[in-house]
Amino acid sequence: MKLGNYQVKLEKKLKVTGWEAAAISILAILIALALFSLIFLQAKVNPLTGYKDIFTYAFADQFGLPLTINRAIFILLCTCAFIVPMRAGLWNIGMAGQLYAGALGAFAVAFAFGAASGSQNLSLSPGIVIPLMMVGAALGGALVGAIPGFLKGRFNTNEIVVTMMLNSIGFWLVAFMIKDGGLFMGAGGEGEGFKLPQSLYAPQILGGPFTILLALGLAGFLYFMFARTRTGYQIKAYGLSPSAARYAGISPYNIPLLVFIIGGLLAGLAGYHLFAANPGVYKITQNYGDFGDLSFYGIICGLISLENPLAAIPIALLFGGLASGARYAQGELRMSFGVDYAMLGVLMITLVAFQFFYRNKIVWKKSEKEK
Amino acid sequence: MSMVEMKRGDMVLEARGITKRYPGVVANDHIDFEIRAGEIHAILGENGAGKTTLMRILFGLTQPDEGEILIFGEKVNFKSPLDAIHHGIGMVHQNRKLIPAHSVIENIILGHPSAGRITNLKRTGEEITELCTKYGFKIDLKAKLWQLSEGEKQVVEILKALYRGAKILILDEPTSALAPPEVEKLLASIKLMTGSDLALVPFITHKLPIVLSVSDRVTVLRRGKVTARLETKNATEKSLAKEMVGREVIFRLQRVEVKLGKPILQVESLSALDNKELQALKAISFSVHEGEIFGIAGVSGNGQQVLAEVLAGLRNATEGKVSLDGIDISHSSSLERWQKGMGYVPAERIDVGSIGDYSLADNVLMNYYFDDEFTKWGILDSKGIRKLTEALISEYDIAAPGPDTTAKSLSGGNLQKLILARVLSRKPRLIIANLPTQGLDVGATEFVQNKLLEAKKMGAGILLISEDLDEVLSLSDRVAPIYEGEFMDIIPIEKARREDIGAMMAGLKHQAVKI
Repeated sequence: MKLGNYQVKLEKKLKVTGWEAAAISILAILIALALFSLIFLQAKVNPLTGYKDIFTYAFADQFGLPLTINRAIFILLCTCAFIVPMRAGLWNIGMAGQLYAGALGAFAVAFAFGAASGSQNLSLSPGIVIPLMMVGAALGGALVGAIPGFLKGRFNTNEIVVTMMLNSIGFWLVAFMIKDGGLFMGAGGEGEGFKLPQSLYAPQILGGPFTILLALGLAGFLYFMFARTRTGYQIKAYGLSPSAARYAGISPYNIPLLVFIIGGLLAGLAGYHLFAANPGVYKITQNYGDFGDLSFYGIICGLISLENPLAAIPIALLFGGLASGARYAQGELRMSFGVDYAMLGVLMITLVAFQFFYRNKIVWKKSEKEK
Repeated sequence: MSMVEMKRGDMVLEARGITKRYPGVVANDHIDFEIRAGEIHAILGENGAGKTTLMRILFGLTQPDEGEILIFGEKVNFKSPLDAIHHGIGMVHQNRKLIPAHSVIENIILGHPSAGRITNLKRTGEEITELCTKYGFKIDLKAKLWQLSEGEKQVVEILKALYRGAKILILDEPTSALAPPEVEKLLASIKLMTGSDLALVPFITHKLPIVLSVSDRVTVLRRGKVTARLETKNATEKSLAKEMVGREVIFRLQRVEVKLGKPILQVESLSALDNKELQALKAISFSVHEGEIFGIAGVSGNGQQVLAEVLAGLRNATEGKVSLDGIDISHSSSLERWQKGMGYVPAERIDVGSIGDYSLADNVLMNYYFDDEFTKWGILDSKGIRKLTEALISEYDIAAPGPDTTAKSLSGGNLQKLILARVLSRKPRLIIANLPTQGLDVGATEFVQNKLLEAKKMGAGILLISEDLDEVLSLSDRVAPIYEGEFMDIIPIEKARREDIGAMMAGLKHQAVKI
């Protein structure tokens, strides 16, 4: 392309550093916010007021901030669930199904110890049942994750299709369990799961769920795993070059299975966080499908963070904040329904579009004189 | 498209003094070459002899540094394949460029100027049928490509070129992907085609019987130069093999005499299939001793790649037994084979032997991550592996800034040194070196060969697979020419005569050779 005396050319970039990626992402976020201003303007709202509302609520409000953090924990776990298979070059689109299975796993443990009866008397102390619920959630997610992993490794089945289909299966499995006389149906009969007895509420830290430590710890652990351990090395090698990994003796069967088990386990824990540790919830809610949809932001956070679990932390926080802040602003400014999802959508598209600059750079050159 | 009328024997294409230099190598060195109407002119040469470069130049894919091309006496300067097509040159690629889900006719008209907007399939079909009748092809135009055999696909490629008005048809190794019965069919068609005014130029690596059976004239290339230009009727398989392989020895490596130890690798009637599920190895048996270099000489695609992969544990054998140091490893994984002292230097340096996005240290780790030496509780000893990498970089004189450089930034020769360094540093008892010097410059080649000799001195058994006969003859203690998945013979080096081995590589001295 020519602009006056200059020639604009695209060149391939070989490597993007962490700082470049951060700068590109921040630029993308600013542009997304600028674009979203159009929606405020269309609703005759001053964009500055709109953003002030969103950010104040999301990050500096006594009600908004906990909501933001809850969402961020959930998104961070889903992001990690996406990142681990992605490092092996495999796409986990099944965090929704895995988190449903995780929720069912956790509540199955609670159910087994008599938590559905409504009485506070459990056959075991909460100190044992709560960890067991987490194990149940992890197992449930891992089990559902193992399916695409096994099929990929053994039969080279497309993992995207399998994980997507398992989302539907998971969705209806939850419906089967909590609705219309299902085993986990709540006492109210309103199409939601039974409520946990108070003794099984997850412990809190500074007024928030303890799962924040779990999520941050897991993100840190995964970072370490990929940077320093043999397992991380094998996963990355498989992701970069399956044929070279095979040459080096890395099993082409076990790696897909392993990464999907880890991914499913993480998504399962996201399910535990959402329904068993989230203050004020403590049951599988009627609108559990909405959270399944929210889990897809794990994909986008994973891609933006360049598959780096630590970089995923601020990004998950941002997405969590915008999701809760935009929902609040929508009511406060009397805008139409769905502002929060529109906001996340615009942000997502802009960030994905800006990934272009991870791989390409624009070069300005003075035009050569025509021969 | 040229509308010049051609008569049989007219000069249609003349190339004079074609020279093409690439860094470190002269791919084509003043090649003169001519094609006449109605002839099949075979171009013969080993890998790396310059055939591909010449072909790319003739089809406009690359431009020569020197020399000129005349078509029908007119000087041409191809900037792209489109120019070549306009001058009546057609090319049938070795890797088919066809669309499996489309029908034959759709594939033929794809990219044809008249098929730009509205296609009159009926008229086109009639025109193609006419072509088929003229040249004696039988093919169902409505069949989908995926339903066809490799031979039929080849016919589609030929028709496609003819339909675009090709008068000179370049066939790149036309028989290499075909099963024997299909080869015969295709050769019959090719012979029929020369009844007309077409000129055919098959570029053939090594299949001497095919050259002799169909061509009128042969041009032999070796190391970028024309070494012979003959009428096929005056040539024999032996004379062609001699011209193709040459006599002179380029390197004077001192073969090291090492007292042979006990057999380290024993292979008993090993059979395996290739990716096309064709029988690629036919009950091969041999053994490699400690301190011995066992050379397998063969032209690409005769089963040596499959053999290397089976031995390295990357491909399943259908039959047979492999023992390493007396222990049956037929069913061991590749990892177990590494751990038991096997070292594999693969031919595919970029896709298999290294990970381009990994640092050099992480590439060295490819052969070490499973050892306790560099891991503790599953945590990698990054410092240790960096130190080892630095040592290997200096010992093997690898041109790289340091262990953190990515492997993809290395040149081919340096990458090969890195792979070799990594494999040899494990002090393997058995080394499988698959095309260890292919594509390397003279210096790197010598370096790699010397390293193999050093390993031999240390008592390692080495299985050397090479397409370079000079290399096999100068390094090996025993030589096994391989042809179509079988050893033609296993010859001690004292008794190995290069003419014999060259002929065996081309399938001679064998009862079952057809065509």
